[in-house]
Amino acid sequence: MTATQPVLEKSGARGPAKEGPMADIAWSNMPADAAQTDRARVLKKLGLHDALFRKLTFSAAIVVLLLLGGVILSLVQGSLPAIKAFGFGFLTSQAWNPVSEIFGATPAIYGTVVTSLIAMMLAVPVGLGVAVFLTELCPHPLRRPIGMAIELLAGIPSIIYGIWGLFMLAPFLQQYAQPALISAFADVPVLSTLFAGPPYGIGIMTAGLILGVMVLPFIASISRDVFDTVPPVLKEAASGVGCTTWEVVRHVVLPYTKTGVIGGVMLGLGRALGETMAVTFVIGNAHKISGSLIAPGTTISATIANEFTEAVGDVYTSALIELGLILFVITFFVLAFARLLLTRIERKEGA
Amino acid sequence: MMATPVPTADLPNKITVRNLDFFYGDHRALKDVTIGLPTNRVTAFIGPSGCGKSTLLRVLNRMYDLYPKQRAEGEVLLDGENILDPRVDLNLLRARVGMVFQKPTPFPMSIYDNIAFGIRLYEKLSKSALNQRVEDALRGAALWDEVKDKLHMSGLGLSGGQQQRLCIARSVAIQPEVILFDEPCSALDPISTAKVEELIDELSERYTIAIVTHNMQQAVRVSDYTAFMYLGELVEFGETDAVFANPREKRTQDYITGRFG
Amino acid sequence: MSLYYKRRNVNATATMLCWGAAIFSLSWLVMILGALVFEGAKGLSLDVFTQNTPPPGSAGGLLNAMAGSLIMTVMGVVVGAPLGMLAGTYMAEYGRHSKLTVVIRFINDILLSAPSIVIGLFVYTVLVARMGHFSAVAGVAALSILVIPIVLRTTEDMLLLLPGSLREAASALGLPRSYLIQRVAYRAAKSGLVTGLLLAVARVSGETAPLLFTSLNNQFWSLDLNAPMASLPVVIFQFALSPYKDWQQLAWTGALLVTATVLVLSIIARALSRQRTYK
Repeated sequence: MTATQPVLEKSGARGPAKEGPMADIAWSNMPADAAQTDRARVLKKLGLHDALFRKLTFSAAIVVLLLLGGVILSLVQGSLPAIKAFGFGFLTSQAWNPVSEIFGATPAIYGTVVTSLIAMMLAVPVGLGVAVFLTELCPHPLRRPIGMAIELLAGIPSIIYGIWGLFMLAPFLQQYAQPALISAFADVPVLSTLFAGPPYGIGIMTAGLILGVMVLPFIASISRDVFDTVPPVLKEAASGVGCTTWEVVRHVVLPYTKTGVIGGVMLGLGRALGETMAVTFVIGNAHKISGSLIAPGTTISATIANEFTEAVGDVYTSALIELGLILFVITFFVLAFARLLLTRIERKEGA
Repeated sequence: MMATPVPTADLPNKITVRNLDFFYGDHRALKDVTIGLPTNRVTAFIGPSGCGKSTLLRVLNRMYDLYPKQRAEGEVLLDGENILDPRVDLNLLRARVGMVFQKPTPFPMSIYDNIAFGIRLYEKLSKSALNQRVEDALRGAALWDEVKDKLHMSGLGLSGGQQQRLCIARSVAIQPEVILFDEPCSALDPISTAKVEELIDELSERYTIAIVTHNMQQAVRVSDYTAFMYLGELVEFGETDAVFANPREKRTQDYITGRFG
Repeated sequence: MSLYYKRRNVNATATMLCWGAAIFSLSWLVMILGALVFEGAKGLSLDVFTQNTPPPGSAGGLLNAMAGSLIMTVMGVVVGAPLGMLAGTYMAEYGRHSKLTVVIRFINDILLSAPSIVIGLFVYTVLVARMGHFSAVAGVAALSILVIPIVLRTTEDMLLLLPGSLREAASALGLPRSYLIQRVAYRAAKSGLVTGLLLAVARVSGETAPLLFTSLNNQFWSLDLNAPMASLPVVIFQFALSPYKDWQQLAWTGALLVTATVLVLSIIARALSRQRTYK
């Protein structure tokens, strides 16, 4: 390799006489070495700031971690007296007697599960329908406003659903819907039990309905987002061979987004299980399991909301906290499952 | 077989790379690379995609440190000091070795602040001195006349070519010793490209410059030295016109005559 | 040909059902908002904003409840938002590739949808039971725990959305990471961060369950953080379930106010999230 100055044309033009814009730059008077040590000093100070900020953000992250641990621990600790008093029988007992301090969780768990199931029966088909509507059918200019309206439905605080359910929906059901159902199914074997008893207006079914309307927008907007991950070329290819819109949804969109949709549904279920205020207004707060869907009942969260501040005695309080623990454990698994599925579809989208 | 660096008395190497290996996880992206970048000259790195030229550039300011599972082995000497040493202060190193990227990356702040930001960090200057430095940097990047009336508008509002020159000015403003260009013109139109190339030529008066480019004409136009890389190896290194006029390696010849890549 | 007609009919039915689902959902929104405006507006008067909550059977306003809601919401956000933002920053910047981040992200997602009444129970056992009395401080703590996951999630999402090239460019200037984050990344992600904050405020200002047994309620004007404090949602709950007409009317009016606040906040948040400062 030659060791001489390159003899390119362009470097030949370079000389001390050359005046470029760089020539009039006023350089700092400091010699390079002094500038270096100066910078090193500045950087050392900045490095300290950096380390501090890093530690700060790290501690905040740890706090979040500890919070969940704290929630679980404190609930377990709070439920200890009740666990000691009732043991495993707490889960299977129907008793709820504050006077003799005997408590069982079955009616509350039953109510929680049944209201959530009713809610999902309403919210899943309607929510998916709305999602399909928003992604496939809705005229383009209306997509954003309608999508936003659905999200607003999700934003309404649950206590508003509660007060509305109590004063508007329950009277309507009591006067019109429930009497009609009772008489319509009076002679049908199973259904007559499900719709037996006087029409109170409030009860398991009303709570399930309200819950359904509450979680519907969650399922709709998650499903819409998931549907949007379907590559347009897949849909176009299906349309190209003559598929109708419904067939595209049924055979391309749904199979492609299955995991994500199930994740969204589970997320909605998690909300329904834990929802408190809307249910508390309309459930009727009765600690018994009734075969009828229109009878009053209770849920875990409604029991806690209604009775916690009035609970006297350690065992009563502790039983309520144990209910909270049970609720937390149930929702934890449902939500964890939902997240697992949703993460999977996010990864698919990223790839 | 490998070309040797260019050690001369009047042209000391600003950066000397010795036996450099680089790994992305288990994948070895650079294989035993040895090269010297002469002070105040422009060295171009050419080669097909994935040949390791950008990787090499990102070792020179240890940009790879931002990512896990990437590591370099060997020696990279900047003025005789090994920058691969874990004790090296990365921020100090990067203040000395500036970098301009493929896509313009102005910060979401005013044109003025884009430049002043880095200066303020390192030096306490009076307002007028700071103004002067910003002006100098923008003049240095041949951008002053175009932006002097809108210094307080967002840097994101400039055209692509202007944004790229703003980024160059931003690097220049903190007075580095070396500037690395990673395909600086690949997102620019021909007129902006010409301006940036002219600028690189002027900057080489003051700075040692390394530029990665896909465009062989660009390498001919702006560089004093050219390194051809292929599959993680440095195949050939020499004066630009010698490499292009008279390549010693067949692979180099195949590449510059367009037979592959 | 008959197969073709069958397919077309199925498609038409499915299309109709989807339209029906959308109309059904929107009609709930209309019914709920309609009832709120109709029932709530009847009770709107100056008294609502100038009088405290009344004893049973007499007229009054919601002043103390509004003040309490405002105080506890603001403080909850002031406590929770920085924590969430810092933790989100750690996950997106310093700890992007660490296992801890994966764990925290999972836990945060759980906290995000966890039943808020459980958060109330947690704060009750940790704070109220120890202090021996209900207090606004406990209410603030409960609300801040609800704020954290929302802010954390949006912070992380927004920072992850920033192009890596911006991060590289900043660090190529020798900027320490913290400067990059504080001066460049936060600025670039600003509209997203504000959106997250607004959503958190919207969510928290309607929350009732976690306040029931932390801040409880207070019939009188009180700014004492160490004492029970009224809040709109809890007052709505108590008044709506009471047998008194005056109280029920106030509950509707309060519900209108809460809903209006929450919806306005979420509309602003969504409008903001559409205009990105950075692509």
